[in-house]
Amino acid sequence: MTSHTWNLFWGSSFVRTPLRNGVGRYVQQLQRVTFKFCKTHGGSQGMREFIEKDLVDFAKVNPGVVVYLKPRRHRSPCLKAEYLNGEEEYISAHNLSSSDIKKWVEYLRMRSGNPVERLRKYQHTDHPSIQGPWTPWTHRDPEINVTEFPSEKLSAAHVTEKTATEQVIELFEKQKIASGSNTS
Amino acid sequence: MEVSAGGESPQKVQSMATFGCGILYDAKWQNPFHTANKIKDYLTGSTKPIYHPLNDCGDHVVVINSRDIAMPGIEWEKRVYFHHTGYPGGASWTLAWELHQKDPTLVLRKAVYNQLSKNLLRRGRIARLHIFPDDKIPDSILQNISGQIRQLRPVPKRLDHYSEEEVKNFPKVFDWPREYIIQ
Repeated sequence: MTSHTWNLFWGSSFVRTPLRNGVGRYVQQLQRVTFKFCKTHGGSQGMREFIEKDLVDFAKVNPGVVVYLKPRRHRSPCLKAEYLNGEEEYISAHNLSSSDIKKWVEYLRMRSGNPVERLRKYQHTDHPSIQGPWTPWTHRDPEINVTEFPSEKLSAAHVTEKTATEQVIELFEKQKIASGSNTS
Repeated sequence: MEVSAGGESPQKVQSMATFGCGILYDAKWQNPFHTANKIKDYLTGSTKPIYHPLNDCGDHVVVINSRDIAMPGIEWEKRVYFHHTGYPGGASWTLAWELHQKDPTLVLRKAVYNQLSKNLLRRGRIARLHIFPDDKIPDSILQNISGQIRQLRPVPKRLDHYSEEEVKNFPKVFDWPREYIIQ
């Protein structure tokens, strides 16, 4: 599968959060969670256990979330979550234990409701650059504006070692200075 | 950035400022293979902070004095360029010095082409390379040049490149023997 085909089906997006959620204040994005289960079948046993033991605590701790219970005969249990942005998500709870369901409910509670997609980048900023975008002229010496090309000065390689010729001249200069100081 | 006098949008000006410039390189006395490695970075645009593999942001590179490139050791005699016409018996092997005599830009161009990454962008990148055997560049190219790549090694200076005065003032290291004949 090429990346193009993959993207057609699964999409891709950037890191985002609804209305800067979590900066200064937090708005609960999960609006309603519906527990659908059967009162008799074994596949719903974990769900029934969760409802008996933990559901009231969950509802007390999260007053912003509406909790619905929907018993239905002889059908497998599931969780339906509805979010502030209109998205909804189903999770099958068939044969799950009550602790598993607790984790899934926690997962639904903390989600933003945005679709789960491949992230193109793992970071995002609203202000990409304060200095402005880079151009070839940033941090360049303005002298190039008046340089005639080809320029000997810009082209010459950086020489790190002295050549034999330069060493000879240096020796000669030293000798001259030494002999000059001797005579005076 | 302000809108230019031509009425182009700021994005257009930005893009022209980013992409529409050339860089000069003087190949005199330079190793073509080390040179190619350097030029490659400018052709692909990987010298720029905006570089991204999907973003075609390379610069034009103008190379002058390609006739004066220097090969290491005995490469001029031993390096061989292979070509096959596609017909039976169409294979031919050309020595580097022969190729350089036929076209003084081709050794450098092939060196750069071989070092570019082998993908669909390769032909487009090599098209941005302009090689001239001497230092004569058309004015249309010269006026778009905005920078120069530093040479990799210093150009050696011959005795006849020094002025008469410099030669005269150079310190005398030793005296020739009295009966020594200077040819």
